[in-house]
Amino acid sequence: MPTITIDGQAIEAPAGAMLLPVALENGIHIPHYCWHPKLSIDGSCRMCQVEVEGGPKLVIACNTPIRDGMVVRTKTPAVENTRRGVMELLLVNHPLDCPICDKAGECLLQDYSFAFGSRRARTREPRRKLEKRKDIGPRMILDQERCILCRRCVRFCREITKTNELGVFNMGDHSVLDILDDKPLANDYSINTADVCPVGALESKDFHHKLRVWFLKKTESICPSCSNGCNITVHHYRDRIWRMMPRRNDAVNDTWMCDHGRLNYKHVNSAERLRQPLLRRNGQLEACEWDEALTAVAAALRRVARETEGRGIAAVASPHLTNEENFRFAQLLLTLGVRNVDVAVVIGSSDNFLIKAEKAANARGARDMGLQPASGGLGLPTILEAAAKGEIRVLYVCGPDLWQTTDRQQLEQALASIECLIVQDIARSPLTERAHVVLPSLTFAEKSGTFTNVAGRVQRLHRAIAPPEGQLGDGEIFSRLLALVTEGIPAFEPAAVLEEIAAAVPAYAGLTFDRVGALGWQLPGGTTQPLPGATA
Amino acid sequence: MATRTVAVARPRAASQRTTLGMWLFGARAILKGMALTHRHFLRNLWGFIRRKPTVFTVQYPEQRLPFPNAFRGMPVLVQMDNGKERCVACGLCEWACPTDCITIYPAETADEIERHPEVFDINMSRCMFCGLCEEACPEEAIVMSHNVEISAFSRRGTLWHKDDLLVPVSKLAPRLEHIRGSYDR
Repeated sequence: MPTITIDGQAIEAPAGAMLLPVALENGIHIPHYCWHPKLSIDGSCRMCQVEVEGGPKLVIACNTPIRDGMVVRTKTPAVENTRRGVMELLLVNHPLDCPICDKAGECLLQDYSFAFGSRRARTREPRRKLEKRKDIGPRMILDQERCILCRRCVRFCREITKTNELGVFNMGDHSVLDILDDKPLANDYSINTADVCPVGALESKDFHHKLRVWFLKKTESICPSCSNGCNITVHHYRDRIWRMMPRRNDAVNDTWMCDHGRLNYKHVNSAERLRQPLLRRNGQLEACEWDEALTAVAAALRRVARETEGRGIAAVASPHLTNEENFRFAQLLLTLGVRNVDVAVVIGSSDNFLIKAEKAANARGARDMGLQPASGGLGLPTILEAAAKGEIRVLYVCGPDLWQTTDRQQLEQALASIECLIVQDIARSPLTERAHVVLPSLTFAEKSGTFTNVAGRVQRLHRAIAPPEGQLGDGEIFSRLLALVTEGIPAFEPAAVLEEIAAAVPAYAGLTFDRVGALGWQLPGGTTQPLPGATA
Repeated sequence: MATRTVAVARPRAASQRTTLGMWLFGARAILKGMALTHRHFLRNLWGFIRRKPTVFTVQYPEQRLPFPNAFRGMPVLVQMDNGKERCVACGLCEWACPTDCITIYPAETADEIERHPEVFDINMSRCMFCGLCEEACPEEAIVMSHNVEISAFSRRGTLWHKDDLLVPVSKLAPRLEHIRGSYDR
C-alpha cells in the first residue's frame, strides 16, 4: 500500500484512492463542497485545493489519486490564500439570507466562511437576482440565488435515482440550477437533495421555516416505515419530532432514505394519541387505571386459556414493536399455551433501492421471536375464520395492521363472535372502537430496543422522546401481564431482555446492545445485498 | 467542682461618667440638625407656595427624567412603517438569551421577506435586561427600550406577546442610532 505524508503525518492508504477521502478518514479536514462520499467526483467547487510537493501549482484533493511518497500540505499560506479567494468568489452573489435560511447553523458555506473567509465584501455591485422560493416539486423548494453550483443534487438525481430532474442551465456566470418545466423533482428520494445541498438552495417543504437547527437534539434510531431498516437520526425538541435525517450505514442505506419514511413521523406528535387504557363498561369505552385494565386482560386470558388449553385464544403480533417487546409477548403466549399467533403486515409497493414491500420495520424480528403459528396453531386468515365459527374467544391484537390488511367483511364477522377483543395501539382506530380493552402503545421514538430488518440485520434504536409520566411501554405491559399470569418476572429492561433473547433464540446467540452497536449486527444466514448505484 | 460567685465592687470608669460638657455638646448637635432641617423645610415651603421649587425630587409618575440612549429597559420589537415587525424569526435572540425568556415560532409569509414570527413571546418576569438579544439581532428588530414599567398583577401578565411588544420604528430612532455606533468596535 502506498504511504503518503499529509501535514507531516504518514498515512498508508490503498492504491488508487483519492487524496480527500484519505485525509478525511485520518482526521485531517480539508474543506470541500462538491465532493460527497456516495457521489461521483465533480471538482467544481475548487475548495479542496492543497499543495503537493513537486507540483507546479495547487491541486484539488478530491480528484488527485495518491501515489507512494507523496507529500501533501494543507495549511500553507498559498493554500489558505486560495481558500480565501474561492470563498470570496462563492460569496460574490450569495444573498445575505442567513437569518431566514433553514440551513443556517448546518451550512457549509457559513462554516467555511467563518473559518476561511474574509470579513468584508469587496464588491459593490448588486448581487445577482434569481428566482427565490421556486416550487420545484411536491416536497421541495428551490432558491436559485443561494446555490453555489456544486452540482451534488444534479449528480444525486443522475446517479442514485437516475431520474435526472435537476440540471445546471446556461453557462459561465449565467449558470443556474433549475428543473425542466414539465418534470418536477418528484422522485421517491427527492428530499435527499436537501441533505446533500451544502447551502440552503434546496429545502424540504416539510421543514421549511419550522425551527432553527441549533435547537434540535439528535437521537440515533431506525426508520420504522418499512423493513429495510434505514439508519436515521431523529431530530427532536420540546418533546416532538421535527424531522428525520438519514444516518450513514453503508450496509443498509448509504447516506439516503426515502421521502415517505422521512415524512412518516407525524403520528408520533399527534394529539390524538392514546395515553390511557380504555375499558368497555355498559357498552361504552371508558378511560381507566392501568392496573384495572391489565387485571381485566390477564383475567380474560387466564380463564379462557384454562378452559380451552390455549386454543380459544389467538394473537396478532405487531411488526412495529421491538424484538425485546415481542419476545416478552411470545413468552406470555407460551405461558398461556397459545398456538394461534401470527404477524399482520401491510404490504405495499417496493423498488430495487431502499423501499421494501413490508411496511413495518420489524416483521422479521417478530417472526424470529416466535410470533408465528406454532405446530398445530392457526395462521392469520384461518384465525379469523375460526373466530367467525366461534372457536376463538379472546383475540389479542397489537398494532393497526390487522385492520388494514384483512378483508373487512371477514374481520367484522370474526369480531362479532369474539368474547373479548384486546387491542394495543398508539391511536384510536376502527379496531379499537370494537375492542373490550384498549391498551396504549408507544412509537419507535419513545423506546429503546432493536429491530431486525428484512436482510436479517439487528439494529439499535434509542429513546428520543419521553412518553407522558406514568404511561407504560409495550414491553412493560407484556411483562406485567406475564407477572399477573405466572409469577416472578422482572421489570422490563431492554438490555436484559436482549440477553434473554440471545440465550433463547439460536440465530441471536451472543447478541448484546454493545455488539449491535451503532451500525447493527448481521445475523448468520442473512445476506445484505450491496445497494445498486452505490459508488465506493 | 462547685462554682462560687463573688461580688466585686469596682469604681465606675471615667469614660462612663456623664459630664455637663457632654450634655451641652449633645444639645448643640440636636439644635444644629433641627436648624438645617427647618431651613430646608421653610425654603421648600416658600418655593412650593411661589410655585418655584428649589429641590430636585422628581414627582414620579407625573414627572419623569429622560433616560440616556445607552439605558436598557425592556426589550421591544421594531415595527416597520407598514405595521409589520422587522423580525424574521431567525432565532438568534432566543439562542443568545441567558434566561431563556424568549419563545419564537416562525412561519412563512407571502411578503418579500418570506419569514416572520407567528408567535414572539417574552417572559418579562425572567428578563434581566442584559441586552444580548439586541446584540445578537442581525436585523435591528429587537432593541432595548426605555420602558421599565412592566409590573403586572399576575404571572400571566408578565408574558408579553408580539402585539404588545411592537413599537413604531420612529419612536426607537435614538436607540437604533446608539446601537449602530457599536458595530465597528
